[in-house]
Amino acid sequence: MGPKRGLSICVFVSMVACVAQSSPRTSAAPPGTTIPNTISAINSSTPLSQRVVHYEIDARYDTKTHALDGSETLTYHNFTGQPLDTFPFHLYLNAFQPTATWVREGKREATRGQNFARWDPKNYGADEIESFEAVGQGDLTSQLQFVHPDDDNPDDRTVVQVRLPQPIPPDGEVQFKIKFHDQFPKVLERTGWDRDFVLGGQWFPKVGVWWHGAWNCHQFHVYTEFFADFGVYDVKLTVPQYEVVAASGIEVGEVKNSDGTKTVAYHGDDIHDFAWTASPHYRVHEDRFQSSMGPVKLIFLMQPAHWSQLERHVHILREAMDRYDRWYGPYPYKTFTMVDPDPGSQAYGMEYPTFVTSATSWILPPGQRELPELVVEHEFGHQYWYGMVATNEFEDPWMDEGLNSYNDVKVMDSIFGPTASWVDLWGATASMHQRQRTMYIPVPDFDPLTRMGWQFANFDSYAAISFGKTASTLLTLEGVIGEDTLRQAFRTYFMRYRFTHPSKEDFLKAIEEVSGKDLRWYFSQAVYGTEVLDYEVQKVSCVPLDWYKENRHDKKGETEYVSDVWIHRKENFIFPVEVEIKFDNGEKVRERWDGKDRWVKFEYQKRAKVVSAEIDPDHKIYLDRNNFNNSYTIEPNTAPASKLVNYWVFVTQFFAQFLSWWLA
Amino acid sequence: MAGANIARRNQRYVVWFYLLNLLFAWWGAVAFGAQAHRILDHSLYAGRLLHGMDISVLGEVFARPEFGSPVGSSAPATRLAVLFFVISLLFMPGVLFGYASDHKISREEFFRTCAHNLWRFLRLLCCFVIIAGIATGVLLGIQGGVVKAAEHTSNERLPDILQLVGITIIFLSATAIRAWFDLAQTDTVLRDQPAVRKSVAAGFRMARQNWASLLGKYLVIALAAAATLVAGILLWHAIVPPRSVFGAFLISQLTLFLLLAMRFWQRATAVAFYARHAVEPAPEALPASALAAQLSR
Repeated sequence: MGPKRGLSICVFVSMVACVAQSSPRTSAAPPGTTIPNTISAINSSTPLSQRVVHYEIDARYDTKTHALDGSETLTYHNFTGQPLDTFPFHLYLNAFQPTATWVREGKREATRGQNFARWDPKNYGADEIESFEAVGQGDLTSQLQFVHPDDDNPDDRTVVQVRLPQPIPPDGEVQFKIKFHDQFPKVLERTGWDRDFVLGGQWFPKVGVWWHGAWNCHQFHVYTEFFADFGVYDVKLTVPQYEVVAASGIEVGEVKNSDGTKTVAYHGDDIHDFAWTASPHYRVHEDRFQSSMGPVKLIFLMQPAHWSQLERHVHILREAMDRYDRWYGPYPYKTFTMVDPDPGSQAYGMEYPTFVTSATSWILPPGQRELPELVVEHEFGHQYWYGMVATNEFEDPWMDEGLNSYNDVKVMDSIFGPTASWVDLWGATASMHQRQRTMYIPVPDFDPLTRMGWQFANFDSYAAISFGKTASTLLTLEGVIGEDTLRQAFRTYFMRYRFTHPSKEDFLKAIEEVSGKDLRWYFSQAVYGTEVLDYEVQKVSCVPLDWYKENRHDKKGETEYVSDVWIHRKENFIFPVEVEIKFDNGEKVRERWDGKDRWVKFEYQKRAKVVSAEIDPDHKIYLDRNNFNNSYTIEPNTAPASKLVNYWVFVTQFFAQFLSWWLA
Repeated sequence: MAGANIARRNQRYVVWFYLLNLLFAWWGAVAFGAQAHRILDHSLYAGRLLHGMDISVLGEVFARPEFGSPVGSSAPATRLAVLFFVISLLFMPGVLFGYASDHKISREEFFRTCAHNLWRFLRLLCCFVIIAGIATGVLLGIQGGVVKAAEHTSNERLPDILQLVGITIIFLSATAIRAWFDLAQTDTVLRDQPAVRKSVAAGFRMARQNWASLLGKYLVIALAAAATLVAGILLWHAIVPPRSVFGAFLISQLTLFLLLAMRFWQRATAVAFYARHAVEPAPEALPASALAAQLSR
């Protein structure tokens, strides 16, 4: 066990007392049910969010059976402005059963690391409510009813609903006391166990979100992530004493129990989820980052085999935090925990408030930056686009994954340079913006960005659109309104909507507001539409004016030519483009075309011939599906193709020799 | 060094096989090349392929629908690689006969030997595939089981290390079996042995009695080949400017030529080894007239 921070038992006890004595609010609920007005886990003197929920959870994890027994007290503050008598709850772990919608979809589309044909029942997951009481309204366990708002699968048990005998008035509070039993799956969807490691994600009954005048509580789908209200979390975890534990929020106490276990207490303010992990193998490193709101303790839980890569993790995290702090706003929490999960456990690359899992391997050359750099940077970025700006990940996956992917490009480019921000290895390079484009261009037109997560045509389309197209859309938008303006728009959006649940229009309007431009023409195609962008230089011709004369000879600088350049919009995305035409006397002409017609012709009469024509000469249109047809040179350059042919021949010869070496 | 001397004396075989190797690969690249030139020759964007190795642009090229699916676009090259293997098998008897001869055999001798042994070599290939397939399959199975068991531990390195150990063992096993069958092929050609099972048995006896010496020689050559490949790729990367297609062609072809030469060195080593260790002395390479008479029986 590495250096263990944490407070003494006295501090633990006083913390619990502090939570119990927190300032009451005006409400119709009985005394003691108010949501605490704490500030211990944030660098702020006042609460940052409208704290809708307060979860107090006491859980004991059995390392042998991978089961957890918990008791949860949820205090819900009704800020909806209307009486509420129905409350839906997520039971996410029930997704990992053969009849669940998540498995139906996963079996159709395949999911990370799970071969359902060989799915051992002992690796299933479950979340069972043993008792459910609404304080003052009695035991409602028998009233619980599974609902399936997104499909017609009656066997899906990932959403359960309860109707209260008495509605909760506006601004009133209700307290639910829930006893539950979890069976963690062998890691699926970044939650569960593997060997002696466990990652507790989506592990407790969690109430839905009242959003846009209705409950928003979707079933667990194979592509979708999560949505929850901000609040306060006080969680006590009991695990064997040999376990190294980490969780969302701050650790406020640890008690060693006589039965060989220990109880570790965590507290989180202004967060909307709580995850934890335990393993006897973690090596712990602590660091510190000075954000513009105060110091942040960085906690790294590394696998021993990855200890040599600690510096890479620390470096990228600190650099990413620095960019986010300067560009968009402060990280306001007092801790950030980065977990290097058990190798091969499929628990890598997941975000929770103040807590993420990274991904790496024991042998990784430093020039490839997918692991761990990009994963660490990406998961930290989710602290902003999901953690604080808590969009609805079920319905708008592009608003967390896509906005984050765009910022992956900006942050990684800023740290490693734009040409090799993704790969810089043994002479091979690749940039982050190309990575995003490459995801998008094979599947550009099945779904718009705004498709709900579970309604995408397939997984390829989900990934291409939510990640790659969103990033490419925003990178292209930089060319329209300017990089600095878009950054300012992001900052405005973040500062305005942090600790809330903004909608897609909130984001788009923030961009229009900051840029001062009406961008509906762009959003209607790139965000709401499935239009594909592809412009080509269709043809270039140069004809001497005196072509009809006999015995004529072309003389450079003297012969007059009529040159025509045809630009063709091949697809249905209308986008204004610049075209640069170069002449053989060194002259360059830039033309601008609104792209509304299907084609345009530029005609010149000069004592010079056209050498080349290029659409988007500054390379600002990342949405263009085919960059190769964006330009045309009169004189062919066979070197690029010949280089590829040489590779092709080399590989073929080598393969032929390999075959003959062993078989002939 | 006897093998090296034989291979050097008969380097024309390496040259011919290399030219066939290059010709087939070039033929397999014609369709690909035509598409690549069509897409790239007039594109300024394609110039990025000449500024080092931008793998995302490379990926974008191969993702173009004009190339079709990866399987479809690589099918001609795959077929021609298989054709090269078939040709190698077809002409190997002539090469072995030439290696065993103390004079330069005539074209007629070469092709007669090839034709005479074609069916025997096909049967030897079947034997090789069965034996090497079973041995490699068993070893792969064991390796898979061991690696899977190692994956249940928390030692992340263990599965990778075991995988590496497994690959090494499989490589040693495959090399030993290849050496055995190289001797069997040599026996078939030099003894004019119609019953391939006898050649297989003779090759096995000879290899078993001197396995350390034979395997050692084969491994040294194989490691030299691996070193040549690595050195060639490093040189390609280090000294050839990204824009120089001709430079890349030269160094890649030199590497491939040397790789092929290494395999012929192994073959020549097998012939020399056979000549030294055969229980019955290997017959001298017959004069063309005698061979013709023998072959026509």
